[in-house]
Amino acid sequence: MDISLILQMVLVAGIASVLYTLIGVAPGTDETAVLAPVTLVLVLAGFEPVIILTFFMAAIVAKKLTDSIPVAVAGIPGGVMSAPMVEHALVLKKHGLADTSIRKMASGSVIGTIVSIPISFALANVLSEFSEVIKEYTDPIFFFGAIFLALMTKNKWLALVSILPLALLIQGLRHLYWGVGIVPEDTTVFISFFLGITIGPVILTLFELLNGDLRSKLTRHDTKKISFKISKKIKGFPNPFRILTKNETVSSFFSSILGVGTFFLSPVGMTIMIGEVVASKIKDPVKKAARAISSMDALTNAAYISGTLIPLIALGIPLSPTAIGPGHALFNAPPVFTQDHNLHHILSMSEFFWATIIGAGIAILITYFVTVKYAVQICRFVFKRIPHEAMLGLFFGLVLLLAYMDAGWLNVAGVLLIGLVAGVLNRLGVNYGVQFMTLYAAPFIVNTLF
Amino acid sequence: MTKGNKKHNHEPQNIEVWEDLVHIKDLGLALLICGAGALGGYFLAPNNASEPLFYGLAGAVLGFIISSFIIKPKRTFEEIREEDQ
Repeated sequence: MDISLILQMVLVAGIASVLYTLIGVAPGTDETAVLAPVTLVLVLAGFEPVIILTFFMAAIVAKKLTDSIPVAVAGIPGGVMSAPMVEHALVLKKHGLADTSIRKMASGSVIGTIVSIPISFALANVLSEFSEVIKEYTDPIFFFGAIFLALMTKNKWLALVSILPLALLIQGLRHLYWGVGIVPEDTTVFISFFLGITIGPVILTLFELLNGDLRSKLTRHDTKKISFKISKKIKGFPNPFRILTKNETVSSFFSSILGVGTFFLSPVGMTIMIGEVVASKIKDPVKKAARAISSMDALTNAAYISGTLIPLIALGIPLSPTAIGPGHALFNAPPVFTQDHNLHHILSMSEFFWATIIGAGIAILITYFVTVKYAVQICRFVFKRIPHEAMLGLFFGLVLLLAYMDAGWLNVAGVLLIGLVAGVLNRLGVNYGVQFMTLYAAPFIVNTLF
Repeated sequence: MTKGNKKHNHEPQNIEVWEDLVHIKDLGLALLICGAGALGGYFLAPNNASEPLFYGLAGAVLGFIISSFIIKPKRTFEEIREEDQ
């Protein structure tokens, strides 16, 4: 690796950090929606593979660091991954501790990043020995993952029962598209269905708004009051180990290890689980919430990094929700990357290592510093200037665009249908984790089980 | 219904969608602008490789910026300064 390449890596890591620091703050930005299209553009534009990986690593670290801000300040998930943290963040917000909440979450993120990188490399090395065997069982792994996550939820039976109909809907649409001929038989519509599930709750609400009776029954509010306590400024460069208490550091550390170990499972599902496990024994509501959010953020970061790195390094197939969602373009972006010619085949171990270190390192340096120091300023800007309508509009526009790109106008209706079903399931209590896993397992469920 | 974006101070008119408040008409407007931006960018782009995707993204972001300027957030932001430790 020569100096100019390293300089380029540092430069793209910086650009990604700044860009995703801003994107991360915006409430409701879905990880896949904001990461996958941009990565895809870079791949198709012909950037060096090692540059693309550096960009992606910096982007996920920055995005995960800042998406805690809207959660802490307004209880709005900054992304799907931070949705499970809302409950705990609201406790801290109620006590006027929104800024503490941001610092705890950001520090958890940093621990998750630092812990997960070496373990991911180690685990990837071990797994590459078994890569042939694992590749054979990819589909059943996703299927059992869906069942496992369903069993982890509060409404076990509901979640279990909903797996099959959802899988049928997904495969049904795919076969319809193949049958009508709008999608070639060797192409599986994925990203737009994924986004359809993500935006499901919004789609359901939009449909309800079209019904006059339901619309008039909705509770009307004045403006949303957000009060924000500003505590003392942190001097110098913030240190995550001083922001977190000893107990929080320890549980963040173990949550990170768990996040790496379960890289193939839905990070959202695991985040919900770790939140419940960590918080269950603590009585004091503030301590409980602080411990939960720092550990949950550590886990999501670890799960994202390992979910990207392990399948890339060890297997070359997107065998994790992160790889198949936000990181999809690193594995499959024809004609540049294909199943037999992607980052796994192109990059050497040392290139993987340096791309990760430079990407994650620069993102932490820039974004952690900015998040912890300027959380109040960032919040003030976002909450006074960015209307929620525009956020929903942007997300809706992206979904529309990717739905059309995947399979034309018919798929716009298809994504609405998936969103509607996913929205109803969501409201009934089937979480995203189960739904995403079902999306991945759908071909296996329909083609192999029946 | 009163006209378009008249001030809605007297009666609360905002509803909650995805954890934050929106005004129904403003939401419709934002969906329209961003949707049109995304697809408009896509169809106007020169038809080669990644450009339609890129233009589509740019169109969506442009729609987002326009919406941010013409729609007012339904939040009031209150800061409490805390002097004691």
